[in-house]
Amino acid sequence: MNQIIEYKHIGKSYQGKWVVRDCNLSINEGDFLCIVGTSGSGKTTLLKMINGLIVPDEGDITIFGTRVIDQDIISLRRKIGYAIQGDGLFPHMTVADNIGYVPKLDGVPRGEVDTIVDRMLSLVGLPLDSKEKYPKELSGGQQQRVGIARAYANSPKILLMDEPFGAVDSITRYQLQEDLKKIHKQTDCTIVFITHDMHEAFKLGTHILVMHEGKIQQYGTTEEVKNHPSNDYVKQLVEMTR
Amino acid sequence: MIQNLLEELGKNGSFYLHLLLEHIGITFTAVIIATILGLAIGVFIAQKQKLANSVISVVNIAYTIPSIALLGFLISFTGVGNTTAIIALTIYALLPIVRSTYVGITTIDPKIIEASQAMGSTDSQILWKIQLPLAFPVIFAGIMNMVTMTIALAGIASFVGAGGLGVAIYRGITTNNEVLIWIGGILIAVLALVIDGILSVIGKLVEEHKVHTIVNKKVGYALGILLVIIIGIVGMQQYSKSDTIHIASKPVSEGYILAEIVGTLIEADTNLKVEYTHGVGGGTSNIHPGMVRGDFDMYPEYTGTSWQIVLKHKEDYKNDKFPMLSAEYKDKYHFLWKGMFGFNDTYSIGIRADLAKEYGIKTFTDLAKYAGQLTFGAEYDFFEREDGYKALANAYNYHFKKVVDMDNGLKYQALFDKKIDVMTVFTTDGQLSDPRVVVLEDDRNFYPSYMAGMVVREEILQKHPELEAVLHRLDGILDESTMAQLNKKVEIDKEDPKQVAKEFLQSKGLVVK
Repeated sequence: MNQIIEYKHIGKSYQGKWVVRDCNLSINEGDFLCIVGTSGSGKTTLLKMINGLIVPDEGDITIFGTRVIDQDIISLRRKIGYAIQGDGLFPHMTVADNIGYVPKLDGVPRGEVDTIVDRMLSLVGLPLDSKEKYPKELSGGQQQRVGIARAYANSPKILLMDEPFGAVDSITRYQLQEDLKKIHKQTDCTIVFITHDMHEAFKLGTHILVMHEGKIQQYGTTEEVKNHPSNDYVKQLVEMTR
Repeated sequence: MIQNLLEELGKNGSFYLHLLLEHIGITFTAVIIATILGLAIGVFIAQKQKLANSVISVVNIAYTIPSIALLGFLISFTGVGNTTAIIALTIYALLPIVRSTYVGITTIDPKIIEASQAMGSTDSQILWKIQLPLAFPVIFAGIMNMVTMTIALAGIASFVGAGGLGVAIYRGITTNNEVLIWIGGILIAVLALVIDGILSVIGKLVEEHKVHTIVNKKVGYALGILLVIIIGIVGMQQYSKSDTIHIASKPVSEGYILAEIVGTLIEADTNLKVEYTHGVGGGTSNIHPGMVRGDFDMYPEYTGTSWQIVLKHKEDYKNDKFPMLSAEYKDKYHFLWKGMFGFNDTYSIGIRADLAKEYGIKTFTDLAKYAGQLTFGAEYDFFEREDGYKALANAYNYHFKKVVDMDNGLKYQALFDKKIDVMTVFTTDGQLSDPRVVVLEDDRNFYPSYMAGMVVREEILQKHPELEAVLHRLDGILDESTMAQLNKKVEIDKEDPKQVAKEFLQSKGLVVK
């Protein structure tokens, strides 16, 4: 297993308060890592360090074997998919333009972009006739699917997802979870997925990272966390899923 | 009224079309410059929020300067003409664009900006693909607002000698011709409404996504190229002006007529072309600096005015000081006094013709004998001014039966209705051609002399020596009553100054029919 993302003694503070302190973590290629924690636990901070939206105050973060600060941030970001909760979609672009956004930035010819868009639509289970629609014409679940399709359009090695299913109803959420599992199986993509829902983490993740107040509580495979919680906090979370 | 408007439009259609096109040209140059500049400033302060407040306040302050003040102020830097108008309009147009660009960009959901960053967009890609298109509705509303405002405001531009429909309005005001004012005003309103309609259709199409990317680089380049072409055309026009004599005139009927008389004669006698800037606001105070800069080559002026306003002499000007006046003009400014028309447009006293005949009153001195039986009328400020009623009464020892102050425009009617007997007049007032009023002679030279003549740049006479002879032919061709008659034709009969000038020259045999 190849290491793809590595955090070394990572710290980040806002206005003198540490939101993340001395985090060490390595993620292997092909992992589906779910980061679980309450809001303010530092999970989003960790995620945004991967594509350089947040720069750590302490420590180093290494992607593909090179420190993020030593890489060309624009080309690194184009190799990392990004999906967020709610409407991160561009409201002035059609579904096709939203999905084709990154390939176009990368200079992929128009014809190939069309092929990519069609492939992505079928991957996330959207009908082809939604291509020319605008985000506001879609349901919440459909918008979320477009968000995933857009994040995956450039066939990134890493997919970052920040509570992508937080704003949809439970039936849609179930379908989206199934689809995401399918995508992970079909590809060799490494997924870092943020959720506050332990159920979701157990269902999706191959690995689980539990964060609380800026500190790592436990990091291990889903089985390890489920069967051997490392402390009371994790135990409490696991028990809530029973 | 409507019939008058239609008649005038039918007769001088091409004149108004020319003004309309000029109006569009001036407005759109300002609009394009302001849009490019305003977008740039708006985008810049949207990135540098710390600067935003101070930049917006500066633009706000510029916006609150009264347009007349701003135009007057700019004249001393950029002279009279279209450039000054375009600069002023651009300054006013900046605020709506800067503000709407800033607001449009800063109110975009930060999540969308973050998403585009996270997907690896460069700053300029975020700007062109995300921020500007999303801010478009707000920016476009600002542009629409600004365009109609600029079209209306450009009407004032003729105050600084710029072209456009304001020329018709301003000429209408200064020659007391309502038809011109109406036509200018209506055409401006119609232009604003039509452009507003076109823009709102475009805006709707864009918002309904029927036109996909109106704000993109291609449009930017196209606008840039258009701007270069416009500047090029303006530049060419400036360049081709070398064989053109530029004549300015003050915002009074007499100024228009004299300028047209000179211009018509120049075009008839030489191969030179003449361009007019009629009715320059502020008169001497703005035309003289324009002459110094070389914007104008000549203009009709009065000796007494030059003596006091340009040379700033305290004492009154009398005819015997002409050698001093012309020597100072030549030394200080290299301007020459040529083509002295022969009439003196000064203050004087008018009297009812029947009374003048009855008592045999011909001069100011004669009037003193009968003043006790007569009523004297003048505009209100004549009684207030130092050199007004008191000074006149002292000089000639007048003791009128009664003095009345009244509105300048009603003076003549009051005299004809025999409500007053004697009144102040200007020696070339159009109404003086009426036989019911007679002008008295200022036999002790109480009033300064205001002889009309052309002030000409020496340089232009050296370049085109043939002008000397043309101007010489104008010497002494007009007396006060002839000038009053020409003024009457423009002010009361609403004739076109150009036509009046042409007919006059024909009647004198200076121009063939």
